[in-house]
Amino acid sequence: MVPIIETKNLSQIYEGRQILKDVNFSLEKDDALALIGPNGAGKTTLLRLLDLLEKPSSGQIYFDAVDVTRSGKSRLRARRRMAFIHQKPIMFKMNAFNNVACGLKFRREDKKNVRNKVEQVLELVDMNDYRKRDARTLSGGEMQRIAIARALVTNPAVLFLDEPTANLDPASVSKVEEILARIMREGKTAILMVTHDMAQGQRIARKIGVLINGDIPQIGSPSDIFFAPTSTRVAEFVGVENILPGTVAGKEHELAIINVNGVNIQAITDLAQGENVHVMIRPEDITFTKTRDSSSARNVFEGRINKIIPLGPLTRIEIDCGMPLLGVITTRSASELELTISSKLFASFKATAIHVIKRV
Amino acid sequence: MKKFAIYILTIAMVLSIACTSFACSSETETAPTPTATPGGNVLPKESRVQLATTTSLYDTGLWSLLEPMYEEEYGVELDILYAGSGIAFEYGRNCDIDVLTIHSPADEATFIADGYGVERIPFAYNHFVIVGPADDPAGIAGMSPEEAFATLAEQQSSPFISRGDNSGTHSKEKAIWAAAGYNYSDITSSGAWYVSAGKGMAPTLLHAGEVGGYTLSDIGTFLANQGDLVSLVDSGSIMLNVYSVIEISPTACTNTDAAHAANMVEFLTSDEVQDLIDNYGAAQYGQSLFSACFGNEPTE
Amino acid sequence: MSDLWNAFEEAIHLIVSLDPDVMGIAWRSLWIAATSTAICVVICLPLGSLINFNKFRGKHLLLSLLQTLFSMPTVTVGLFVYVMVSHSGPLGMLDLVFTPEAMVIGQTLLIIPMMLGLVISAFSGVDKAIMETATSLGANRSQAYIINIKEAKFPMMTAVAMAFGRAISEVGASMIIGGNIKGFTMTLTTGISQYVSMGMIEKAFALGIILIFMALLINIAIYLLQKQRNYVWFPS
Repeated sequence: MVPIIETKNLSQIYEGRQILKDVNFSLEKDDALALIGPNGAGKTTLLRLLDLLEKPSSGQIYFDAVDVTRSGKSRLRARRRMAFIHQKPIMFKMNAFNNVACGLKFRREDKKNVRNKVEQVLELVDMNDYRKRDARTLSGGEMQRIAIARALVTNPAVLFLDEPTANLDPASVSKVEEILARIMREGKTAILMVTHDMAQGQRIARKIGVLINGDIPQIGSPSDIFFAPTSTRVAEFVGVENILPGTVAGKEHELAIINVNGVNIQAITDLAQGENVHVMIRPEDITFTKTRDSSSARNVFEGRINKIIPLGPLTRIEIDCGMPLLGVITTRSASELELTISSKLFASFKATAIHVIKRV
Repeated sequence: MKKFAIYILTIAMVLSIACTSFACSSETETAPTPTATPGGNVLPKESRVQLATTTSLYDTGLWSLLEPMYEEEYGVELDILYAGSGIAFEYGRNCDIDVLTIHSPADEATFIADGYGVERIPFAYNHFVIVGPADDPAGIAGMSPEEAFATLAEQQSSPFISRGDNSGTHSKEKAIWAAAGYNYSDITSSGAWYVSAGKGMAPTLLHAGEVGGYTLSDIGTFLANQGDLVSLVDSGSIMLNVYSVIEISPTACTNTDAAHAANMVEFLTSDEVQDLIDNYGAAQYGQSLFSACFGNEPTE
Repeated sequence: MSDLWNAFEEAIHLIVSLDPDVMGIAWRSLWIAATSTAICVVICLPLGSLINFNKFRGKHLLLSLLQTLFSMPTVTVGLFVYVMVSHSGPLGMLDLVFTPEAMVIGQTLLIIPMMLGLVISAFSGVDKAIMETATSLGANRSQAYIINIKEAKFPMMTAVAMAFGRAISEVGASMIIGGNIKGFTMTLTTGISQYVSMGMIEKAFALGIILIFMALLINIAIYLLQKQRNYVWFPS
């Protein structure tokens, strides 16, 4: 199946800075992709390029297999099959109904059809009662719903969303997420959403893409991204805070012994003996005990606490077991265990909780 | 928005068409006969005749009387441009008018010699007078024109308002200065007493009245716009003032309406109009403002 | 002083009795200024959009130039147009000299820099995001321009009112181009000028009162339009 959008070596330089570097990306017709990444990574830029609001410095963009990188006419045609929801919704100086109708009017839609379509989509976003209101007098959440209605009424093939709920109150956030989830389920529109909220990305999208430093190192299911990041960059971003360099010392079927700074860790991996690797462990997967418990975890290490950082209900513990480890524990447990700096503590984690990647 | 623009344009068009037909019907000139198309001001050139007139003929009200008569008789719209002879000749050289009525014989000769005018046909005349405040502070009453000018130039105490617009009256004024032995450029730079008004005859008289100054005027315009001024010097052959009509040469100006220009000559020299000119103003001012030439070049 | 008072009374009488002379002159001023303004709108809205929304070399220079041309002397425009349409000039064959149509041309040229400048300035008050939102909704160039124009509706209308005000109250261009021909090209302003210099004060007063009345109407319109802007409610 031809992807609805595809880019080849897409680059964007802005005021001397390279924002996007040779991005090769494709979006399928029924994809629901959340794009996450640190600030300034280029997420919004990518969205704007894909919606053909700007021209790239180099590279090609294909919409439904047509090259739309340069030609004005094909760009307009393609743009008319897409829609964009901005973080801050901009309403025109008209009532809600007319705002929504704009896209159809630009496409010279028949007057009767306009009325029907607008009413339908206003129902969808539950804003029919507000149709006569001056759109600029609406609340943030209401405006965003009108913006969504405005975008959907033209039946776009692709819907871009740039942090659509970042400025909204929690009640509006859930209303908007509900609408987006419905669109996603119907599968008629491809969705590409930029979000800061990784949890939201997980809730709404089926796939997550990580954009770091102008490049997309990984696109995959949420569990792939969070638990099996394919590079240290991605791992750092998604909160894998233990990334340890090591070497595969021994191998028995899938079970490997990995030497990390003299400490032997047991993990599951396909990589061969002798390979240089990075070992990744999420803080949540580390269990702390005062004694060497008989747990099912293959990896148990004794260490001394370096730092204790209370964060409300949770507390971060940094411990040195010959290799530095970072884990979390409930603050209640921390006080029950009477943890202090330099006190002895055992850290344990399952072999299956470790993600191993090649070290380059 | 295209719709909006079209909408505005349509409104503007409708408005202007409505306005022009309204304005046309409220024009003071008698509506011309069949040659004028309804819808007003966008008439073909053939139906309008442009005439530039010296201001004194206009300020006396003579043209207000003659204009409707001409329009009715010849069935055209007459456009009268109120211009001093200087501007009138300029319009003529630009081919922007069809006929002129002026009173500047020397310049008229040059104009015709340069090929812009057909011929000079005098149709009226009167005399110039030097006018001023009733109390005559400079004491020029009864002098000859040259003496009076000399007195004013020596004293420099009372303002003299010159037309300053290369009109016929202005040319005559310059001639009197020359006859009195003065270099005109010396006069203009001699002080604040000498004012170059740059206006038509009636406005200049008004100006003189307001500042208590002296000026040179033809007797006709003076009588019709006297205000508080009195005539102080009215003798001297140099004071003869002859009005002529000149058709613009169709060879120099191919767009000119030669036929109607010729009609104007015929009109102004017709017995009826000559009589009218000869008696114009008699009832109102006690003497007629002009004398008709009756086909002769006035010499007196 | 009693002369002036009599003249004033006479002037009121001329107006109230709808003296055809005076009314004709007033109507002519009105339609010439209205037509000039309408033509100017048709030129300046698209042109202003093009200038405002596109980057090009010399844009700053152009905007500064427009500012200076705002108060271009009317006689300069008059002279320029006269020289163009005179039979001795390049457009002489159109027979436009001393016609109201030529006066429309002159006034249009006079108010174009002003309206253009005000239109562009009106656009600057519109959120830049409007252009983008419109584009992302599928608007082509001109549709996006139109949305912006609609967003700046009130400042745009103010621009039109101001341009009309300038057109109807100018005298220099009308005088030189039109020749102030009684019954054909005499307007309120050229008429006042003529009648005052000839001492016909009552007629000058009559025209003057009408002109002031029209100017007042325009200014009230501008005021009301400006007030409208303040009813925009910007959400936090």
